[in-house]
Amino acid sequence: MRLLVLAVLCVVLMVVDARFETLKPLRSQMGLVLTPFYWLADLPVRTWQRATEQLTSSTSLVAENEKLKAEALLMQRRLQKLATLTEQNVRLRELLNSAALVDDKVIVGELIGLDPNPFTHRILIDKGERDGVFLGQPVLDASGLMGQVVEVMPYAARVLLLTDVTHSIPVQVNRNGLRAIAVGTGSPDYLELRHVAETADIKEGDLLVSSGLGQRFPSGYPVAQVTEVVRGSGQPFLIVRAIPTAMLNRSRYLLLVFSDSRTPEERATDAAQAQETADREAAAPAEAESEAQTPDAAPAAPNETPPNGEERP
Amino acid sequence: MISGRQNNGWVIWLSLALALLLSVAPMPQSFGLARPLWLGMFIAYWAVALPHRGGMAAAFFFGLMLDVLSGTLLGQNGLPLILITFLVLSLQQRLRMFPLLQQSLVLMVILGIGQLVQLWLNTLTGNRPPTLLFLIPVPVSALLWPWVFVALQWARRRFNVY
Repeated sequence: MRLLVLAVLCVVLMVVDARFETLKPLRSQMGLVLTPFYWLADLPVRTWQRATEQLTSSTSLVAENEKLKAEALLMQRRLQKLATLTEQNVRLRELLNSAALVDDKVIVGELIGLDPNPFTHRILIDKGERDGVFLGQPVLDASGLMGQVVEVMPYAARVLLLTDVTHSIPVQVNRNGLRAIAVGTGSPDYLELRHVAETADIKEGDLLVSSGLGQRFPSGYPVAQVTEVVRGSGQPFLIVRAIPTAMLNRSRYLLLVFSDSRTPEERATDAAQAQETADREAAAPAEAESEAQTPDAAPAAPNETPPNGEERP
Repeated sequence: MISGRQNNGWVIWLSLALALLLSVAPMPQSFGLARPLWLGMFIAYWAVALPHRGGMAAAFFFGLMLDVLSGTLLGQNGLPLILITFLVLSLQQRLRMFPLLQQSLVLMVILGIGQLVQLWLNTLTGNRPPTLLFLIPVPVSALLWPWVFVALQWARRRFNVY
């Protein structure tokens, strides 16, 4: 009897949880209570790491320091180049009258737990609703895209990694702009590209970057590197495998990106409006000079500009 | 069903919380597949030892906790746990009498049924494991059962839970 009641209750809960939003608050509250569990479960690993940090010999520390210094030098060289490239990019975009690329805002999160189910690739991070994390937020590490937020709790969030079977991401070959969809395989080591034509120009070593077409991930972040292209396998499409550039199972710190929430259309409209106001402002002095004789036209122009000006990004 | 005398119930709750902790504790990737069904085993022990205490309500409750911890649908872990508890409770009179190894064998079948239900639920929610590897935790748990049994029995006698 009790079995029946509880089993029915379970089924009802599952259906409600899957189909409706009513249980989400309850869930996030329970998540609040249970977050310390992950902290506690992670405690031995943390203590071990701290102990090894304490006991690392000075030679290895010196070696690491040197390596980091070399790395910083390399990065700085690339940064120098980047500055001129960014400037050039902005100038070219100005020439094309297109919207300026806004630098995305990020916060740093720390990994606090892995999903106990070995068949899903999800991780738990220590930033939640209170830090402004939202559903579908893209997550990166230092070397590439990692995944997206699928569940938000007050002080924690769950991230679905790129390699999960249920995850797909629209990508572009960096070399020639060829578009494709990278699908998780359930193996932590590689992604697969779906529906790439036999004649497509793609080869080993190509870098895949996010294309931003799914309106979820920001465009231009590295996603994976093609490692294997199998042609003429008898399948209707190419078999393309790619290794994620992000260190999906090694990164402890990751970045949560707050990108521009507007759609490309809105962005284009905003940019157009901004351009219009700028043009009008540029033209206003000239008009004012020419129409100085007609007094009622002059106050009309300033009244029009402020609302437009406020809509500028 | 509920007897009047109850003692040291916190031991039961603490052990179940420990099981919950163990079932989300970080493990090396290669052992992740073989993570024992801690919660199932601990609840089965209390159902065998104290059928009037370790009930299905606890199984349900801890199943929900595990759901929240692992981000599955609410009730997805609860249902198999309830089923396991029910089966153990209905076999309790016999299980008590069995030697440990025979208990392990029976428990392997029961936990296997739980995993199969779990598989159906996973299939319904759209992430079906591609292989039969999802059954690995069952024999692993069965192998661990004697140790779990002895440890929990010690705890039960030490703190005089009845």
